[in-house]
Amino acid sequence: MKVKYNHIISTIALVTVSMVSCKKAEVTTFNKVKIPTSSPIQPGNIAGFVKGTLLTGQTYTVTGDITVKKGDTLSAQPGAIVVVKNNAQFNIQGVLNLLGSQDQPIFFNSDTNKPGTWGGFQADSAQAINIKWAHIDNTGGPDAGGSARRTIVVRGAIPVDIEDSWFTNGQDDLMGLFGAKVTILRNTISSSGSTDGEGINLKSGATGVVAYNVIFSQAGSGVKLETSTSVPFPQTEIEVYNNTIVAIGWRRGSAEPGRGTSVGVNAIGHIFNNIYVNCYHGIELFNDGDVTHTTYGNNLFYATVDTYTDLVDPTIKINIRDNFYPAGAAGSPRPTDLISTKIGNFDPLFVKFDGTVAAPNGFPNVNDFRLQNGSPAYGAGNTKYNQDLGAYTTDGKGNKH
Amino acid sequence: MINKYYLILLFTLCASTTLAQTAIIKGKVTDSKSKEPLPGAYVHLDGMHKGATTDAFGNFEINKLTAGEYKVKVKYVGFSEFEKEATVSDNQTMIIDIAMKESDEQLKTVNIYSKLNQSNESSSRKSEKNANNITNVLSARAMERSPDINAATALTRVSAVTLQRNSGSDEAYAIIRGLEPRYNNTLINGAKVTSPDPVSRFISLSVVPSDLLDRIEVSKTLTPEMEGDAIGGTVNLIFKDAPEAEYFKANASLGYSAIFFNRKYDNFNQSAVLSKSPSERFGPAYVAPPGYFTRANLDFTKKTAPPTALASFTYGRRFFHNKLGFIIADSYQNQYYGTNSQFNAAIPNTQAGGNYKPVLSDVANRAYSTQQLNNGLSTHLDYKIDDKNTIGLSNVFLYTYIAQTRLSIDTSIIGGNGGRIGPGTGTVFNDNRSNIQNQYVENLKLDGKHILSNHFQFDWAGLYSNATANAPDRADLTLNHLINPDFTSTPDYFDAISRIWSKNGNKDLSAYANLGYKTALGDKSSLEIKAGGLYRHSTRYNRQNEYTLRPAAEANGVKAQFTDIYSSQWVVYNVTGSSTSDAANYTASEDITSGYGEFKLNINNLDIVGGVRVEGTKQEYDTHPVVLNILSSAKKTYTDVLPSLQLKYKLTENSNLRAAYFKSIARPALYELVPTATFGQSSDVTGNPYLQHTEADNYDLRYELYPKNEEQFFVGGFYKEIKNPIEFALISTSGGQLQTTPQNFGTAKVAGAEVVYSRYFGNIGFSGNYTYTYSNISSAKDVPEAGTVNGKPVLKNQSRPLQGQTGDVANLSLLYKDDKHKAFAQLAYTYTSRTLSLVYPNYGYDYYQQPQSFLALSAEKQVSKHFTLTGKVNNLLNTPTTVKINNLVQARDVYNVSFNVGFRYSL
Repeated sequence: MKVKYNHIISTIALVTVSMVSCKKAEVTTFNKVKIPTSSPIQPGNIAGFVKGTLLTGQTYTVTGDITVKKGDTLSAQPGAIVVVKNNAQFNIQGVLNLLGSQDQPIFFNSDTNKPGTWGGFQADSAQAINIKWAHIDNTGGPDAGGSARRTIVVRGAIPVDIEDSWFTNGQDDLMGLFGAKVTILRNTISSSGSTDGEGINLKSGATGVVAYNVIFSQAGSGVKLETSTSVPFPQTEIEVYNNTIVAIGWRRGSAEPGRGTSVGVNAIGHIFNNIYVNCYHGIELFNDGDVTHTTYGNNLFYATVDTYTDLVDPTIKINIRDNFYPAGAAGSPRPTDLISTKIGNFDPLFVKFDGTVAAPNGFPNVNDFRLQNGSPAYGAGNTKYNQDLGAYTTDGKGNKH
Repeated sequence: MINKYYLILLFTLCASTTLAQTAIIKGKVTDSKSKEPLPGAYVHLDGMHKGATTDAFGNFEINKLTAGEYKVKVKYVGFSEFEKEATVSDNQTMIIDIAMKESDEQLKTVNIYSKLNQSNESSSRKSEKNANNITNVLSARAMERSPDINAATALTRVSAVTLQRNSGSDEAYAIIRGLEPRYNNTLINGAKVTSPDPVSRFISLSVVPSDLLDRIEVSKTLTPEMEGDAIGGTVNLIFKDAPEAEYFKANASLGYSAIFFNRKYDNFNQSAVLSKSPSERFGPAYVAPPGYFTRANLDFTKKTAPPTALASFTYGRRFFHNKLGFIIADSYQNQYYGTNSQFNAAIPNTQAGGNYKPVLSDVANRAYSTQQLNNGLSTHLDYKIDDKNTIGLSNVFLYTYIAQTRLSIDTSIIGGNGGRIGPGTGTVFNDNRSNIQNQYVENLKLDGKHILSNHFQFDWAGLYSNATANAPDRADLTLNHLINPDFTSTPDYFDAISRIWSKNGNKDLSAYANLGYKTALGDKSSLEIKAGGLYRHSTRYNRQNEYTLRPAAEANGVKAQFTDIYSSQWVVYNVTGSSTSDAANYTASEDITSGYGEFKLNINNLDIVGGVRVEGTKQEYDTHPVVLNILSSAKKTYTDVLPSLQLKYKLTENSNLRAAYFKSIARPALYELVPTATFGQSSDVTGNPYLQHTEADNYDLRYELYPKNEEQFFVGGFYKEIKNPIEFALISTSGGQLQTTPQNFGTAKVAGAEVVYSRYFGNIGFSGNYTYTYSNISSAKDVPEAGTVNGKPVLKNQSRPLQGQTGDVANLSLLYKDDKHKAFAQLAYTYTSRTLSLVYPNYGYDYYQQPQSFLALSAEKQVSKHFTLTGKVNNLLNTPTTVKINNLVQARDVYNVSFNVGFRYSL
């Protein structure tokens, strides 16, 4: 009997040992997604994976989504014209260099020339963005999930340099720059956001400068600063100075009024020398922002009407002047501010202004926000930034549009 | 002699048309040793097709007998056969009380087919005593002792098993030894049943009526012949073979949830839900006009909640000289229940002095109103070809219909486009959602058992399982208004509508085969060797198509005011839907190939069961990407070798000492690998293709004492080392939903001890069990107050319990039965301690579900021979489910008490 047991046990042991050797560790293999090689751009129809340069005087028709791979660069020379069809978008994983000139700006538009008809620059994982002297119009068409797309979106601490360009008729945030190092100078952003969306939305540790821009008739806020709600560092810290921000924040409705400039969620703003006219709320420093480190002053606030009838509920009359620094927020008038108390008081005296308060998405911007002689904005600036207020200054550093 | 009886029989049969049938034989069947009544025993008259099964009190009655001589026989497994002759005359009621004697047959050759009636409590104690592994068995008799209508309620009386329940419904999933359902297997007749629910791998235990069950086996250690993907244990629901006597039992009851005493039921027009999306009806290029989308399913009205109705029946009998058995059961539940819920998103406090402690960023109050209709139809056929060969066919078909309204009021406290300055101010979002869902589960199993020779047995099974869920037109309407600092409010604005059509399906094909050899080794020893294998091919698909409707702006471009859904104007923003480019449209598959070798050696008082199982797994998915993404298609392969060794030493006739080691695994569900969001009620899960499967080394020790029948005392301890447990971590919160992803955080150590005791003192029975489990895992977390170093967050290891692991689990139940008045009552109490529900990203904080105590009372009274009144009150303490981060209440769900009264009819 003993022998029998031994046999059994040794057989079992042998089987066990041989089976143990069967073990295979977990292997995860990602089936290779075929990514085509990038092809140099040729005039005519373009789509797919591209790199290279859009040439002066040439017209390109984008028929499908364009992807610029990591390591590749898409450049544009002055005067290049791009027409986007089929609600396509640009996926930028590499570098975008749109370098137009004052004489020969670059044009990006959809074939239908209607608001919200192409996808803009989805540059979440881009390496760098440089846009100078370019017209980027009618962006914000729906993505696959049905959401409006931001015109330019970046996530990551990359340099984003946007200067002297025109943006009109987007549908959501015009710029959504998360964590980027931004230089946003002398641009004109008009009539963007359908019923939501900020002009310049800076979050998640973005740092840099927003200056000499004109923002007109944005659905949400003109410039919005926030740090991430879940990642407290790094903090967003932006200098917002010498911008002219007009007729902002009405289309989102009074439940979520838009602000000329807002600072919230642990962000730091340095807000000086801006002109706010006919904005639903002027400067709003939310209690959850980094109020301690935020500085502001030398801003001009003006309203061309005493009250504005709420477009939805006509029984509500909104006193715009009460909302320059809205109730319930941390911000309060500074001694250096120019705060209008009635029509005509501290009127910035724009060269041409149609008096717009609320206007639809896509509303034409026919205004000239240069200042007439005698404007109170002259010489009222914090000289750390500029002696004058607004986007157009006497020293020639301001907006060139 | 025999001839004589045949003559009597013949005479009886022939004469039955003319002679009066007025005699009655009745009595009570008891265990001679314990004096306990034996329910479910079949008392029959030899040579006649006449008999009766004893009721829960051991009583039987055979009526409509003609005067004459009968031989009364009782067979009951575990007892010697009883035989007695009786002569009755017209109108006589003869009382025969039968005391059955236990038999102590020890069988050494193949004996699995001698039908072991395990459905009685003392034989379940026996199967626990004789089992190869560490098990707890709940018999049909124990289920019958208390008025448990389904498997879920019955299970709470098994040691170390608790139930995870969802939002006031009857849905329930087993938690063994405090380990969450993912680490446990739920089987029906030893086989897995796929679930259409994307989040749960198994069907709810509440849809299986307890009448259909022969027994429930909970195995806490695995032998090589069992599938290796259970770390906590396996719950096996074993269906009855059709009884020898015709069997019919029916239950019906009405119930009500007390939550609807305080509020109305929120209803929507379910017929307005469109079953097909525009692109399903008219093709992918179809441009959906605004008019395609219905409005009535976003028109929420208040009504009085209808009562909940539950009904079930079980019918069984045998045909063709008892060769073919047939049993069918249907369980129908139409329930209306509600949840009042608080759901608050938390973020680190970045304010000066806030020290990054979690604070609430949003406060939401949600009211759920749910109608859930379940119908479970189970059939089981067994055909005994001869003494050595049987074939079984079982089919389980489940249908579930859910219609749910969620009304949510959400205030953003931090961030967003707020403007909140204190309680009762700020932008308020009303998010109202309606959705319906149809789920179908079909599970067909054909199996056979064959004794090939005196020493060899063979069994096999083939399985087809198909589960689908269809959720058409989930409609979600968002409105907002602002409450100003002076508490005046703006009107409601129409913010957005989303409409989602989704569908998924799981299909499994499996085949099992086992070959066993058993022989005696001398007088007191035996050896059994088993080998077998399994192959399973599962496929899953998921389809999703979303349309976004945006409010048509007023002429001046401003968002429109919302008055009611019928006057709202919208534009379809993505006119062709998302189906062609949505990553939620995926296919996935899983192939499992496994084989094992097992031996059972019995030497005197020692049983050794051991062997090895090898399981090979291949998991694949493909999201059919439109946007190229490296994660869009992946394959995972792994092979696990799972040794197992179980020792049982019989200390005395009534006590055992057991020790066991086994290795086991847990696989991620397919949806947990696919990198796309699966929507849940309040949290969405995005899969993680880098997720590793879980491997565990398990050690168990248990002492068992069986002082008397139906009395037991167990004490044991266990230790588990769990490598790569799958835990959910928070990524972000968006749109009032938590965004989570499954992750591996390292190796967890789990150790515990359990005590089980049950005893019956005359009319009062007591059963209780308690499990203590300690678990620990350490993983790196962000320390926000330390800022960043070189642009990277500072990480620090934090020790914490394993997610989903409950420290203390206690079940106590008190039974009272009065044989004279035929009444039962049971009070059941369950306690679970604090349990980690979600891993918070920052050091020092996690989401914990708070301790819960549940009390349920059930009672029944037999009012006539066939009818019994039943009543049940659940959640007597109105226990909320509360999730906290330290002292911050993140979620709190209140379901309230529910009542049920009804009757049972049994033949």
